[in-house]
Amino acid sequence: MGTQPRSQERRNFLNIVLGSGAVVWLGSLVYPVLRYLVPPATAATDVNSVRVATVDELRPGEYRIFRFGRLPGILFRMEDGTLHALSARCTHLDCTVQFDEEKQQIWCACHGGVYDVNGRNIAGPPPRPLERYEVVLKGKDVFVRRGETA
Amino acid sequence: MSRIYDWFRDRFDLDAVAAFAKKKEVPLYRGTFLYYLGGICLFLFGLQVLTGILLLLYYQPGENTAYESMKTIISRVEFGWLIRDIHGWSANLLIFFAFLHMFSVFFGRAYRKPRELTWMTGFILLALAMGFGFTGYLLPWNELAYFATRVGTNIPGSVPVVGGALLKLLRAGDEVTGATLTRFYGIHVSVLPALFAGVLGLHLLLIQVLGMSVPPSQERLPPEERRSIRFFPNFFLRDVMVWLVILNVIAVLAVFFPWELGAKADPLAPAPAGIRPEWYFMFTFQTLKLLPAHILGVEGEVLGILGFGLGGLIWFCIPFIDRWEGSHKVSRAINVFGVVVVVYMIVMTIWGYLA
Amino acid sequence: MNRIRDAARSVLPLLATLAVVLPAQAAAGEDACTDCHLGMDESKETQARLFSHWADDIHGQVGLSCADCHGGNPEAFDDEDAAMWNVENFTGAPERTEIPSFCGRCHSDPAYMRRYQPEAATDQEAQYWTSRHGLLLKEGQDKVATCTDCHGVHGIRKTDSPLSPVYPLNVPETCGRCHADAAYMAEFGIPTDQLAKYRSSVHGVALFEKRDTGVATCNDCHGNHGAMPPSVKDISKVCGTCHATNQKLFESSKLGQIFADEELRFCEECHGKHGIQKPSEAMLAWEGDGVCLRCHTDADTGPREVAGAIAASLGKLRSHLEEARAEVQHAEEKGMEVSDLLLFLEEAHDGLVKTRTSVHTFDPAQVTRAAEPGHKAAQEAIEGARALVENWVFKRKYLLVFTVLTLPLVLLTYLKVRQMERS
Repeated sequence: MGTQPRSQERRNFLNIVLGSGAVVWLGSLVYPVLRYLVPPATAATDVNSVRVATVDELRPGEYRIFRFGRLPGILFRMEDGTLHALSARCTHLDCTVQFDEEKQQIWCACHGGVYDVNGRNIAGPPPRPLERYEVVLKGKDVFVRRGETA
Repeated sequence: MSRIYDWFRDRFDLDAVAAFAKKKEVPLYRGTFLYYLGGICLFLFGLQVLTGILLLLYYQPGENTAYESMKTIISRVEFGWLIRDIHGWSANLLIFFAFLHMFSVFFGRAYRKPRELTWMTGFILLALAMGFGFTGYLLPWNELAYFATRVGTNIPGSVPVVGGALLKLLRAGDEVTGATLTRFYGIHVSVLPALFAGVLGLHLLLIQVLGMSVPPSQERLPPEERRSIRFFPNFFLRDVMVWLVILNVIAVLAVFFPWELGAKADPLAPAPAGIRPEWYFMFTFQTLKLLPAHILGVEGEVLGILGFGLGGLIWFCIPFIDRWEGSHKVSRAINVFGVVVVVYMIVMTIWGYLA
Repeated sequence: MNRIRDAARSVLPLLATLAVVLPAQAAAGEDACTDCHLGMDESKETQARLFSHWADDIHGQVGLSCADCHGGNPEAFDDEDAAMWNVENFTGAPERTEIPSFCGRCHSDPAYMRRYQPEAATDQEAQYWTSRHGLLLKEGQDKVATCTDCHGVHGIRKTDSPLSPVYPLNVPETCGRCHADAAYMAEFGIPTDQLAKYRSSVHGVALFEKRDTGVATCNDCHGNHGAMPPSVKDISKVCGTCHATNQKLFESSKLGQIFADEELRFCEECHGKHGIQKPSEAMLAWEGDGVCLRCHTDADTGPREVAGAIAASLGKLRSHLEEARAEVQHAEEKGMEVSDLLLFLEEAHDGLVKTRTSVHTFDPAQVTRAAEPGHKAAQEAIEGARALVENWVFKRKYLLVFTVLTLPLVLLTYLKVRQMERS
């Protein structure tokens, strides 16, 4: 090392510092890009279909509230085994509805609104029906799909 | 390092390339900093390509997915906001520096023989860049973009004879719809990049072959008094420094002045107040707004568009208008013309924002 | 009766056209009734009362005419006796005490009504006679409401028309015409502040301001034709027609049992009847606006503890929700995308509503259990909001790191350039 002239030493030193500085700097660029490339956990860009449950999880008479993007939905199984899905936001004052196993109807606990299995408002204060969703079975999974807005 | 160089040198005539590169020089004088401008544009374009490709990995074009995928990018994808904001800021800076570069070339008469083609390819690049801006602006499919595009595509629609066909071609239909979005997307990510890359390659080759232009003020000096520095590696390393600073500035802008997404486009909703095009179109927009409805029996807007077309053509052909036959005299008329154009654009842009 | 109907039916098509097209006081009478009565020198008020809205009247629209209700001969032009006095079935304008049976001639006849409205009820008159109005009318008190007072006369619209006085949104003011008139009601000795109280109540605000046709109005609790204030033991059931959960929980609670035994007025005791306000924890306070003190005293430590525990549970959830709202707003102000968190806030609010309902069990353990989902949702909103704000801070930290790395690099590059150029 001592055989090199001072200027050469300085040049080497500068090269090393510059080189390592550049590498670290590049690292600070590459790191965000790499993290960016990893897809997010819930890649829900447009929530048009949601996996809600497995086929065995809902017995007749049971229901589950799930989330459709920002909106609550209800998936329920009737006595005859058929699965139905509706929007769960009551059209009266936005409470979350539930499934009344006894009456085989959708019921809102807030003010007693009642909807039939197709979402039609049949009793109580609700002024409009609930939006219907499509239930799709894929293997053992139950998906709920929202139709395209007309 | 040198072993790799030797490997290539054994197969390709690297020495000739190195000699070729060594030839390029940048005049060293008070205005040397202006020679950074082109490099900055190149850097920003590279940044756009990089961030654009990254955005492509998550963006989904289409009326029902564009806005939603943008929302995912900026709120759910890690550093998605950063990539998007860099892309947005870099786009605006690119056009801004392109204008600066163009005007500095204009006033420095760098378009003189033999660099006429360089000027023309440069002008085409500016037009393509503004095309990038216009098409890219629609892609988030948000309220502002939708209405700005509606207004913006109306303007070529007013061109006589071909206007109607042009409008339909641009919009992929009569109205701005999801089909327009698809078309703009295709243009933005394949047509324009291909064109831009081709013309840019030509532009850079011309610069490399013809060397850096020397401004008239330097040309007048006797050869001994003219100073210059080598482009590779001296000026280039300085270029790199400038690029690093600019990247940092963009990062600051991305963090402290993020781009809003706003509300999703709703074609059935009335247009919100204050619809404007992006700033680089503002001067044309404001001019057209000020023109009276009819001038000498012709629609004001049509005259305005034709006027801009003519102006653009003149500007494009400046190397042939500003005859230069060996004299080093700088035409005052051209200077005045240039100043009038710059002032006009600035005034109209500011006016457009104040209105 | 049958003769009138037969006569009417034979000229039905003609009359139908006429009745619908007849403009107020403009057309020359197409039957004997309107022919005379329109041209008569009756006061403007009378004319207006008789004819101005006939085109809107449902009876006219289905083809009925003056004679169908009032009797007489509509074809006997210019002959008063032949048109009215000498006709056997002519009733003319009925006395107020006769109005219910007058309308009931058709409306209580299922066979007749089946032709015009097969699904309509035909028990209105029967119900009416059981109502307070009906009972008083039977005794000869004719200041009470009869059919025409609520439904109008000669301009009766279908009840689902927003212009009908008995359309849900118009009911309170229709009832209020009498019941809010202190001078008119003086001899009956009942309050006249119901409409005023109702206007300021939760139900009134929903009806008058939010135009909610599903909200409770006078007839939903008192009945339509059989209107009567609900008896004490029925109050819970009446409120329970909408507030079913509250009714169920209260009736099976210990307090509910006591109310039944003591014959207290159930829901009304705590919530009032006409001026019901939005409930809050303040109702459980053992002071000030607290409703418990209406029966209990300061010495009742047991009940006081129960009320206190329940109020505490409610208050805890409410402030948790408020905290969540504040955190989400904070994140939003920082420019972060908070729309996913809004669903948690809605869930938390939903939980608060359910917890408030569970108050009716008057069992602190149940209330605390009911509050758990709401707490969970509120906490998720808070954590989500905090994560967003952390992200905001992280952005700035990262920028700082990047700048700290860039600037020295620029400097080093400059030094390298200088070094290169010196040699």
